[in-house]
Amino acid sequence: MKGDLIQHLFTTRKLSKQDIENLFDLTKKIENNPDYYSEFCKGRILGNLFFEPSTRTRLSFESAMLRLGGKILGFTSSRDSSATKGESIADTIRMVNHYADIAVVRHYMEGVGEIAKQFATIPIISGGTGTQEHPTQALLDLYSLKKEFDKIDGLNIGFLGDLKYGRTIPSLLYSLIKYDNVKINLISPKTLRIRSNVENRLNDAKSDYLVTENLHEVLETLDALYVTRIQKERFLDPIDYERLKNSYKITPDTLQDVKDHFIILHPLPRVDEIHYDVDKLKYSRYFEQAKNGVWVRMALILKLLGVE
Amino acid sequence: MVNDSSTGEEKILTVAKIENGTVIDRIPPGKSLRVFEVLGIDSNYPYVVALAMRVPSVKMKVKDVVKIKGKALTSKEIQTLTFIAPHSTVNIIKNFKVINKTELTIPNKVEEIINCINPNCVTNAHEPVVSSFDIISKEPLVLRCVYCDRLLKGDTLQNQL
Ligand SMILES: [Zn+2]
Repeated sequence: MKGDLIQHLFTTRKLSKQDIENLFDLTKKIENNPDYYSEFCKGRILGNLFFEPSTRTRLSFESAMLRLGGKILGFTSSRDSSATKGESIADTIRMVNHYADIAVVRHYMEGVGEIAKQFATIPIISGGTGTQEHPTQALLDLYSLKKEFDKIDGLNIGFLGDLKYGRTIPSLLYSLIKYDNVKINLISPKTLRIRSNVENRLNDAKSDYLVTENLHEVLETLDALYVTRIQKERFLDPIDYERLKNSYKITPDTLQDVKDHFIILHPLPRVDEIHYDVDKLKYSRYFEQAKNGVWVRMALILKLLGVE
Repeated sequence: MVNDSSTGEEKILTVAKIENGTVIDRIPPGKSLRVFEVLGIDSNYPYVVALAMRVPSVKMKVKDVVKIKGKALTSKEIQTLTFIAPHSTVNIIKNFKVINKTELTIPNKVEEIINCINPNCVTNAHEPVVSSFDIISKEPLVLRCVYCDRLLKGDTLQNQL
């Protein structure tokens, strides 16, 4: 990333395969020997600008910066809180330029990356923007895949659930299509298919993807299944929701004919789309997946600050 | 106005040349009323305007032509016209002579003249930025918001102009 003129991270589209692999090499080193990096960010400050509340992502970034020996400041506000009412993202970024050395922005609006590009003088990382993208979640998911299979090339991956509003999905798809011979299976109800702009980019990359409503059409062929939550408020008709919710629920029964090395990933939090009984099976990886988030974010902070 | 015809019938429709102003020529037939609309030409318009519809044309068979006396179009008006009447020509007239002739071709980028359809796009919030779109297909017309990545189809753009 450094040297590739990537100053901010709002979309995985702008990362090359080599950028991602370099990041993962560093992630691996950090994971193997975190103590070695414990003072790399001494004297540096990470600003957390959370215009939308988040526990997981915010804590993961805070943990990453603290483990690097840095300090953190910032705010979390709800959409209606007076702390952010009236103040533009541009002005907040212009302010944090002076308060921190690197910052994370999470926002319910989309297009924040372009504002960062125009107004930030320090590196800014997206902590998730609207339904657009969530690049660091995608990178940690990808790192989990890499750890499991030792490679990303050639994998056959299924995406299940809400592919339209789940903001990690586009980020994950944009990074996967940088790899060779990856097969993508998009399994969702018709109303929750990936957005046309995301599909447009898959087509531009000539990627190998299949769109289906039926999980069992592809399940036996998959190396990994990425499950996302289907939210009730996305449906106009609650009856539709009840019917679909159950048809995409993973239970031990669902997994009878999967490949031996098959794994299940989930960005968490889960509601009931994966039954608790699945947790005990050898296929579940979602709790280990969460652990990787801190390592990946540490590597990312180091890369963007150029303090490797 | 109808320079490329000479039959008596058409001479009835001929509009005199203008000394200074703008001639929008080669407008796709029937589109001139939309041109009036986007330029805000109505009963209160302060300039002398002439309109000729379905004029015989060598290149286009028929075309519409609009002449506005004493008025130069703004760049925003020209950008808007490009999407209403692509391939028309805008001629700037000074002392009865064409001093500049521009063919309106669909650009690769469009800014400001339309809004993103995504209500959660930062360009629709109180931010110090203007809308910006990459044109990713000209036929059919498809735009992509530089900010939120959302796609806009040509008819959405037409409805906003
Ligand atoms: Zn937009």
